Amino acid sequence: MRSPGTRGAAPRGVPYLFLAPAVLLFTLFLVVPVGYAVYLSFRKVQVKGLGLGRGARREVFTGLDNYRSALTDPDLWSGSLRVLAYGALLLPVMLGLALVFALLLDRPGTGLRRFARITIFLPYAVPAVIASLLWGFLYLPAVSPLNDLVSWLNRHGAGLPEPNLLGSGPVFYAVVNIALWGGVGFNMIVLFTALRAIPREIYESARLDGCSEWQIALRIKIPLLFPPLIMTTVFSLIATLQVFSEPMTLRPLTNSISSFWTPLMKIYRDAFARDDIYAAAASSVVIAAVTLVLSFGFLRLVQRQAFGQEQR
Amino acid sequence: MTRRAAPLPTAVLLVGALYCLLPIAWVAMASTKSGSSLFTSFTFAPGGDLLANLRDLSGYGGGLYWRWLLNTALYAGGGAMLSALLSAISGYTLAKFRFAGRDALFNVLLAGVLVPGVTLAIPQYLLLAKVGLTDTYWSVLLPSIVSPYGIYLARIYAAAAVPDSMVEAARTDGAGEFRIFRSVALPMMGPGLVTIFLFQFVAIWNNFLLPFIMLSSDDKFPVTVGLYTLLNQGSTVPALYRLVIVGAALSILPLIALFLSLQRYWRVDLMSGAVKG
Amino acid sequence: MRLSLGTRLLAFTLTTAVATALATAGCTAKSADDDGAAAEPTGKVELSFWSWAPNIDKAVDAWNAANPNIHVTLSKQAGGGDIVTKLLTAAKAGNPPDLAQVEYQSLPTLVSNNVLADIAKQAAPVKDRFAEGIWQQVTLGTDAVYGIPQDSGPMMLYYRTDLFAKYGLTVPATWDEFAQTARTLRAKSPKQYLTTFSANDPGWFAGLAQQADASWWGVQGEAWKVTVNDAATKKVADYWGGLVREGAIDGQPMYTPAWNKALNDGTLLAWPSAIWAPGVLAGNAPDTKGKWAMAPMPQWTAGENRTGNWGGSSTGVTDASKNKAAAVRFAIWLNSDQAGTDILIRECAVYPAARDAQSSPLLQEPPEFFPGQRDFYAQAKAIADTAAGFTWGPNVNVAYDTYKDAFGKAITDKTPFPAAVDAMQTATVNDMRKNGFTVAE
Repeated sequence: MRSPGTRGAAPRGVPYLFLAPAVLLFTLFLVVPVGYAVYLSFRKVQVKGLGLGRGARREVFTGLDNYRSALTDPDLWSGSLRVLAYGALLLPVMLGLALVFALLLDRPGTGLRRFARITIFLPYAVPAVIASLLWGFLYLPAVSPLNDLVSWLNRHGAGLPEPNLLGSGPVFYAVVNIALWGGVGFNMIVLFTALRAIPREIYESARLDGCSEWQIALRIKIPLLFPPLIMTTVFSLIATLQVFSEPMTLRPLTNSISSFWTPLMKIYRDAFARDDIYAAAASSVVIAAVTLVLSFGFLRLVQRQAFGQEQR
Repeated sequence: MTRRAAPLPTAVLLVGALYCLLPIAWVAMASTKSGSSLFTSFTFAPGGDLLANLRDLSGYGGGLYWRWLLNTALYAGGGAMLSALLSAISGYTLAKFRFAGRDALFNVLLAGVLVPGVTLAIPQYLLLAKVGLTDTYWSVLLPSIVSPYGIYLARIYAAAAVPDSMVEAARTDGAGEFRIFRSVALPMMGPGLVTIFLFQFVAIWNNFLLPFIMLSSDDKFPVTVGLYTLLNQGSTVPALYRLVIVGAALSILPLIALFLSLQRYWRVDLMSGAVKG
Repeated sequence: MRLSLGTRLLAFTLTTAVATALATAGCTAKSADDDGAAAEPTGKVELSFWSWAPNIDKAVDAWNAANPNIHVTLSKQAGGGDIVTKLLTAAKAGNPPDLAQVEYQSLPTLVSNNVLADIAKQAAPVKDRFAEGIWQQVTLGTDAVYGIPQDSGPMMLYYRTDLFAKYGLTVPATWDEFAQTARTLRAKSPKQYLTTFSANDPGWFAGLAQQADASWWGVQGEAWKVTVNDAATKKVADYWGGLVREGAIDGQPMYTPAWNKALNDGTLLAWPSAIWAPGVLAGNAPDTKGKWAMAPMPQWTAGENRTGNWGGSSTGVTDASKNKAAAVRFAIWLNSDQAGTDILIRECAVYPAARDAQSSPLLQEPPEFFPGQRDFYAQAKAIADTAAGFTWGPNVNVAYDTYKDAFGKAITDKTPFPAAVDAMQTATVNDMRKNGFTVAE
């Protein structure tokens, strides 16, 4: 039996003392701000008359009004649906590609493995704001190399339509692509390192039994990758629901992205562009609650996976 | 073992790698172009103005760009360092001690990942303003230190990498608890801590909103916020695309160097619990 | 849940402690300087100043050299709406700068949030240095003064002389001619557009509406009158919507890399813009130097002479400043003293709001980018005098924000523009009502 507890030697206060810095910082920079946001979500500004001059503006309690308007706001709903669709597309593609790349990196006989591992991981190091700026340049029809290619083909009689990657339909996929670009490499490395940790002897005996590399991947490696896949899914899911920087950076480049394109963009707009932190706070609480519900099932699952042995 | 050439897998990896390189190749090319040819010449054709662009970038605001790079190093490097240490002691405690409220505490800390940064930014600003800390280096550093991910990972590393027997042996020898952590547990968690450091480094470096709201003096900006102000100067001033592009290209380089040099410590496998302790 | 209760208690204790500390600090600060404008500062005064004007640091340096007792520290900010957001947040937190560059349309928002101080007492003597229409922008039609005008943005038409000649186009004097010119160009060269309608630049559209005599906000006794969707605005929207829908002009936003390219390679032949356009053109399309010319805006009725303003800003002093007197002195020097305005003109490419500065010898020469148009500034001054007055409301941010969404959608969905103007009106009025402003029916 492995027990994490020690057999009585440690003084009782020690764990609390060791955790004090984390708890203090967590309280100051997460709990208190969240509490403050909740408090603000029940308030609003009340202006008198023209609202000019001193004391014309004060903060009052407003009960559940902000929540009522948040929940009945079609903009918030349309943004939420868009983000769900975004996640439904991004997560399988990103994790699927990450899995394929990880398996290929782990497969003996594949060339360029070192080069590919570093290169595919590279986008992780590029901040989302900068990544979106770079992709924006590659998307804009006037400066996009894709459009250069199409017009070159058309000069040779291809007769293709001019693509507009930032048009109202494609822009959704354009945003998915930026997130995909930034996320594949990270997930690939997670899965790859998990694969490296599997003892090689398992494969050797499978090979002796006549299994092909393809069968080994399908029958041995993928089942063993289940725990890390669940982990990466949860992390990616949370990040997906919080999508913000990519559409925000692309927005000035196109007519197709509204200020409420994703829920977090709407929260940002309310808080910053419209100076209504009260409505923003209420929407934030709603979004956080939804994230909690969506992630909770996964999270519990993961915890059982990761800490199963330790807590027994 | 057979060493046959495998053209299809190699080709798939190559396509993936080229896709990932595309925007980076673009920014490398674009950073060598002059203001006009940036928009008129073929996208992937290089220009001859890299040095001129670098000179103009250096000259902006009397070397402000280099200041931004240093600030970024301070925020991301310093913040990630503190974060890794804090995660280490917290994760170690959660993994190796049994005490009342442990699971509840851990769950609350972990729930922190669910709170989006946009939600936190304004309350954090208002609260820090009340103690007069906005527009200081601390206003960006302090909120970046606690990382629920980091604590989560550190707990797994500690459980996997630090054997209970070692801790107990040290205790029997009469070592103090903090000493046990520092000289027994910490070295064993080393590779895991490098991973947490890198995680948090990227997280801080990626977080645009926090410094954007907290800081108003341009000499305290990190690179991302600095470049943003070059791009958004209102309608009466042309956007400085040329400087932004060369600045963005340049800012990616140190990160690549950091990752390449710390690569061999990279131990994300532990994250999934794949390595049994 | 023992722990979460504990944390909640801790949180509460902390906030209470912090709030008490703040209240005490706030009290001392207030009583020390209740009447900021009264006393001349003694000893060395430190001022902070937020601005986005390029090279404004040169003006600050000059001031600091000449005024060792009032030291100004500049902090360059992102321009336009970003600086207003940051000012509002900073003011809420109690630590705004002493001085800030503020666009005219943002003044009511900031005044309504108690961010800016009324500096009428000190500023009154310099009233005559500015045109009446401009001064009205900083008084909001009241007895108060909320800033010293820095620059104005009278709108004019910029066009490519070389390309106009190439396609045999003449400079349109009316909007009807403008539409015809756009169609003619499309027929002659399907790859080029006369101009573009930008759903990203509400300030630009506001200027176009002003020219048609639109009035978006007004004060009626103790109530706001909001008419963003008045007949004039709808006329303007309908006109541009028709041109975009028939494909006579482009519908892509301005200030994007694609727009830069279009200015560089001549895809766009004209730009209804403002007095500060030469600087933007020089920065975005340096190789087209000498190929542009400026003309008065096309008119709605032939023979008329009207224009609107796009942009223009003032220097405001914040209510929280502890050195208002010194701050006002700097703002006045910067915007109306020849030493200040000379630097604004020469280094910051600003067209000054102060009357004397407008006839400065520095403005005898045309902008470097327009070497062919010798009388550029003489003509500009004549146009500036025809700019329509305009009253801004307390939530321009909401109207502007809705403009981007509604017009962006109208362009992508190919729906009529006047409906987008109605959307602006609805959002603006709803926001004001929600906040409790009195809005006249």
